[in-house]
Amino acid sequence: MDPVRTAIMNNRFTAIVEEASTVLHRTAHTTFVKLVQDYQCALATPEGDIFAYPSQSGVTVFIGLPLQETLNRIGRENFASGDCYITNDPFFTDGLVTHMMDVTLIYPIFREGELIAFGWSFVHASDIGGAVPGSISPTFTESFQEGLRVRPIKLFDRGRLNPDAKNIFLDNSRIPDEMWGDFQAMLSAMKSMDKRLNQLCDRYGTAAVKEGMNEVIAFAELKARQVIAGIPDGTYSFSDYLEGIEENQHAHITATMTVKGEEIDLDFTGTDPQVAAAYNFIIGERTHPYVTQALTYYIMSVEPGVPKNAGLLRPIRTKAPRGTVINAEYPAAMGSRVAAGTRVFDVILGCLNQALPDGVMAAGAGMVGIIVANARDPQTGRQRVSVLNPIIGGGGGRIGKDGIDGVDGRSGALKSIPTEVLEVETVMHMRRCHLVADTQSPGRWRGGAALVMEIENTGLEATMTVRGMNRFKFRPWGFKGGFPGKLGEVITNPGRADERSIGKIRVLQMARGDVVRIVSPAGGGFGNPLERDPELVLNDVRMDLLSQTVARESYGVVIDGNSIDKDRTAELRAELIAKMTVGKFAYGPERDAYNGIWTPEVRSFLAQQILAMPRPMRQRTIEFVRETLTVKGERVTESDVSRALEAANDFLEGRSYGVAAE
Amino acid sequence: MLRIGIDIGGTFTDVIAWRSNDGNSRTMSLKVPSTPPNYADGFRNGVDQMLDSIGFHDDEEITVVHGTTVSTNTVIERSAPPIALLTTAGFRDILNLQRLRLKQPTDFFNQRTVPLVPRNLVFEIEERLMSDGTARRPLDLEEVRAVARKARDGGATGIAIAFYHSYRNPSHELAAREAAREELGGDFEVSISSEIWPQIGEYERAIVAVLNAFVKPKMQTYIADIEHYLSKRLPKARLFITRSNGGAMAASEARQFPVQTLLSGPASGVSAALSVSERLNGGQYLTFDMGGTSTDVSLIRDSRATISSSAEVGDFPLSMPVTEIEAIGAGGGSIVSLDGRVLRVGPRSAGARPGPACFGHGGTEPTVSDAYLLCGYLDPDYFLGGKMKLDVAAAEGAFSGLSAAMGQDGVRCAEAALTVATSNMVARVLPYLARHGADPEDVTLVVYGGAGSLHGPLLAAEMGIRRVLIPPTPSVFCASGGLVAKLIHDLAMTVQGLDIDANTLAARFGELEAEARRWLLQQIEAHQLVSVDIDRYAEMRYRGQSFQLQVTVGADDLSGGSLKGLVDAFHDEHQRLYTHSDREAEVELLQIRVRISGSLAAPGIEQGGRADQAAVAKGSRPIQIGGQSLEAAVYDRSVLTEEATVAGPAIIEQVDTTILIPPKFTASVNGFGDLILIRE
Repeated sequence: MDPVRTAIMNNRFTAIVEEASTVLHRTAHTTFVKLVQDYQCALATPEGDIFAYPSQSGVTVFIGLPLQETLNRIGRENFASGDCYITNDPFFTDGLVTHMMDVTLIYPIFREGELIAFGWSFVHASDIGGAVPGSISPTFTESFQEGLRVRPIKLFDRGRLNPDAKNIFLDNSRIPDEMWGDFQAMLSAMKSMDKRLNQLCDRYGTAAVKEGMNEVIAFAELKARQVIAGIPDGTYSFSDYLEGIEENQHAHITATMTVKGEEIDLDFTGTDPQVAAAYNFIIGERTHPYVTQALTYYIMSVEPGVPKNAGLLRPIRTKAPRGTVINAEYPAAMGSRVAAGTRVFDVILGCLNQALPDGVMAAGAGMVGIIVANARDPQTGRQRVSVLNPIIGGGGGRIGKDGIDGVDGRSGALKSIPTEVLEVETVMHMRRCHLVADTQSPGRWRGGAALVMEIENTGLEATMTVRGMNRFKFRPWGFKGGFPGKLGEVITNPGRADERSIGKIRVLQMARGDVVRIVSPAGGGFGNPLERDPELVLNDVRMDLLSQTVARESYGVVIDGNSIDKDRTAELRAELIAKMTVGKFAYGPERDAYNGIWTPEVRSFLAQQILAMPRPMRQRTIEFVRETLTVKGERVTESDVSRALEAANDFLEGRSYGVAAE
Repeated sequence: MLRIGIDIGGTFTDVIAWRSNDGNSRTMSLKVPSTPPNYADGFRNGVDQMLDSIGFHDDEEITVVHGTTVSTNTVIERSAPPIALLTTAGFRDILNLQRLRLKQPTDFFNQRTVPLVPRNLVFEIEERLMSDGTARRPLDLEEVRAVARKARDGGATGIAIAFYHSYRNPSHELAAREAAREELGGDFEVSISSEIWPQIGEYERAIVAVLNAFVKPKMQTYIADIEHYLSKRLPKARLFITRSNGGAMAASEARQFPVQTLLSGPASGVSAALSVSERLNGGQYLTFDMGGTSTDVSLIRDSRATISSSAEVGDFPLSMPVTEIEAIGAGGGSIVSLDGRVLRVGPRSAGARPGPACFGHGGTEPTVSDAYLLCGYLDPDYFLGGKMKLDVAAAEGAFSGLSAAMGQDGVRCAEAALTVATSNMVARVLPYLARHGADPEDVTLVVYGGAGSLHGPLLAAEMGIRRVLIPPTPSVFCASGGLVAKLIHDLAMTVQGLDIDANTLAARFGELEAEARRWLLQQIEAHQLVSVDIDRYAEMRYRGQSFQLQVTVGADDLSGGSLKGLVDAFHDEHQRLYTHSDREAEVELLQIRVRISGSLAAPGIEQGGRADQAAVAKGSRPIQIGGQSLEAAVYDRSVLTEEATVAGPAIIEQVDTTILIPPKFTASVNGFGDLILIRE
């Protein structure tokens, strides 16, 4: 690794992809790409390793996304100068595309006839057809409902547009022109990267540029290895649940993290089979950044200057059985995969907490809700769908730092829409939007507060949908004595005779004057609250975010007027410490009750048994088994599962009817 | 008339002066050390020295244009007494929640900015306007009075008020301010959001009011200090303060609205560059201001500085029209280190103290400035015209560790550090230009600041920029912005969501224009103004889009009762910037703005140092560049004539700056005294 060339090439590669990402953003058409910044472009080696990835704009979650399998399947010999492939097929690309809305381009970059790199780019297309505008609904059960799927085909063949490829995409979208605009923006980004990489070869020579690619990857790998070496060796497992569409439909997500020297293995065996909802995604065989996010963020937190490329993932191996929620098979639906992605993040975080001597962070709110209204535009009178706001909820307490109020770090890139803008552009009126007192889960480093939004419909009839809600059943967990977090809650018409708590919103009809109050979940606390600096407790009280009652009961801090009563605090703390047992993770009563029935080991056993079955049987069988054993309310053993599986077979094949008839 | 520009930086206070009736355009400049935290002392020293050297008559009219960082430092250091915020009930966490987004989402330990006003000093008022400006809940003045008392009792020394939808109807904010003042006394400072910048978007608008209230006490004291001095030393002087939009305003205005000065420092340099670009008849210019701790760039296009409405000061957004400044990191004090096996420059900086090792103030780590010295770009005996000796041995010592680790001699390590520093800059500048749809090949780099004329040419060579311009006095360039600064004021009206026709729009523009003219006459008597210009802008977008464009509204765009001209201008701008437009799509108007610029007498064409001699080198020295050691001729800038050309590699020295001419560049002096480097 040449110290100077590596530094220069890293900067120059970064400049190239940052510039291209800016070009893409600037010339894109759709609001989704412009505002939510759900797009990206990057440069990969001919083998398929991303060596430069932007960080100033666009999504960061795909740092190091592997192109190898897609390139293998297309065949590198099938790329000529001026070609550009287009695809949105998660199955064919084996996880290069993680859901079908991400339309992806692959563009070979040649230097004097030699293939020296690949440009990669995607935009989240706002509509690729399917059963609903926008193509995404969590309730979809198969990819066919989500619209068009196209394996890699040539959009450009040696510089000439392939009109058939273009038309297939455009004919299958509700917004063909805007979508084509976004594709052109991607092409501009690709051409920009091609031009600049060639200029770089002019300046430094092709050989130096090619060596630079490998060096910057090696540099990132070196840094990642240094960070991993600081994590104690061992094997750590953690389980959590993704709440499904139906009541009690909890999908088990589990990982075993093995740290050995400078390397990490992540094994997701025991994770539930893919679900009949749009929460699935696919990661293929190679290490995939979508499931290593918590680890790569950890590495980047410890080493902020590390180059952002595939080298970060080199010391990490992932194994996720085919057919699970996170490595789903044809024809799984994937539109709302972010829900599962968030839970995977929590699971890896759970492993990291066990591995690091002092842990790192309690679970954050664990959901990314996107509130969408379908109502008449106050200006034009036309029906219009508008994104009102994201709602996320407080982050988990962190070692040495409180959790972030109102937002979970994992989803920290989302930006809210000003209330004033929302009220000018829609009929919705924001009655309140603020933090909720006594929702900062106690801990030595407390969790971030929950956020409440109260929205009133001032127009004629309107519909509200919120996709991505979760943590309404099982709380975000606390760690090392930190309390578990808060559950989300939705109440319609609070304070009125027809007030109701409705759980997660799927589709909510709102008449004029109707109000909905959405309270986000909130992350867990970190560390023993009895060890929290009493001055910090007092400050939370002063800020009206903590009641004196909770200060006393959870923190053992007695406040007298405007100051701490030190003697009574010491007394009370001693008393509380004597009564307290500090466990590793605090899940809250709901999950504790569920754990009383299902241990993670037995849930893993069930998942593996189901995966051994033929695909068409899996979904109905697991629901049957889960349902029948859960309602009994007793601890389930492996043999209970085996018996229930047989019963399910009998039932599903109709044999149990026969028995009953006899 | 005597015009004096004074710019205060962290290390130096720069003073530049120009007298209009000399019959020539010569300016005088000098530097004195800054005197933190009492910057007014540096001001006094600088002005005293300047007056001693140029003299003045008691009846001479004097205009002093001053750029200060007092307000900026107050925000960055958060060094002001507490203030309170009054806002609409239901939104107490407006300052904490911000726009939700985190700056570094990939960092486990990142957090949102800690608000300037703690939650216990944010008070909810039970009032509420709807988006059309009508009141859903009326304002209760008794409540305001009670809350004002609570704020004062809670320790607040000032109040900011930001109510929802006040950009559309300021009546609640105005009435609340009145009530608070009645309760707490007329001299209790109250800033309201609708007055300073009435734009839609509650957080950004509230922050403007909060920043204003926060920096007010310090700025008032500071300006009073300066005024006191001037009244004794120069009784006829008028004091103007530079502002973030690139212009200046009367001192009284700055006391009232100090938020307008927060980004004035770098904006002043861009204004000076703008006047350079104007005399060279337009085109695209990229300013490059490199000092000890930071480097800033900004794009000038067709004699207009780029205006941004999404700037930042410290940790806070500043959403009002300011001259856009892109900070690209490294400065001369940036520290060179090995990160594992890879060379790194910055982000750590030796700052002003201890500074680079070669400055001899105790710095021991290698910096970019030490690298200039080792590469031969700087003459150790001619830094600041020889006023400061540079310590070569210290620079060598600082690089010795790297040298050993890399197995290279110190000079090669130094050159490698500069190449890495340049590539750091490229990584920021290329995306910046791309955002504006500009290509490096089409811009002229205007370099200034202490290190600008050394590193600017290096950056140009690396990025493919073909032309570099070095103004006559690059190290006091920001102060010289004070000599050319106009009195500039921006006014806005949010029209988003209103059904508005061309006639109404013209009338609204008329109202803003009348208000702007009133403002101008509050700054200065009309006869002092050489010229007055009005620019009109509209923020527009396609309906349904969530981002907008600023369109310049021409005189005819609203004629004939039709918006067509304006809408066409929007399509054209959209096409230029985004490479596509949709002439069929509905276009929406969000905000209209008026900018007034009143020009004062200013130096015209600068006659740079010329003499009727051919360019004769005063010597030569080896420099390390492009991986080799080359012998570079060294010239004195003051003896370069207009006809002479100097081919790189070469060094041109002047008292306050050293200029590097890389190989393949040729330097010549134009008729205005600017040095122009052209790439072959």
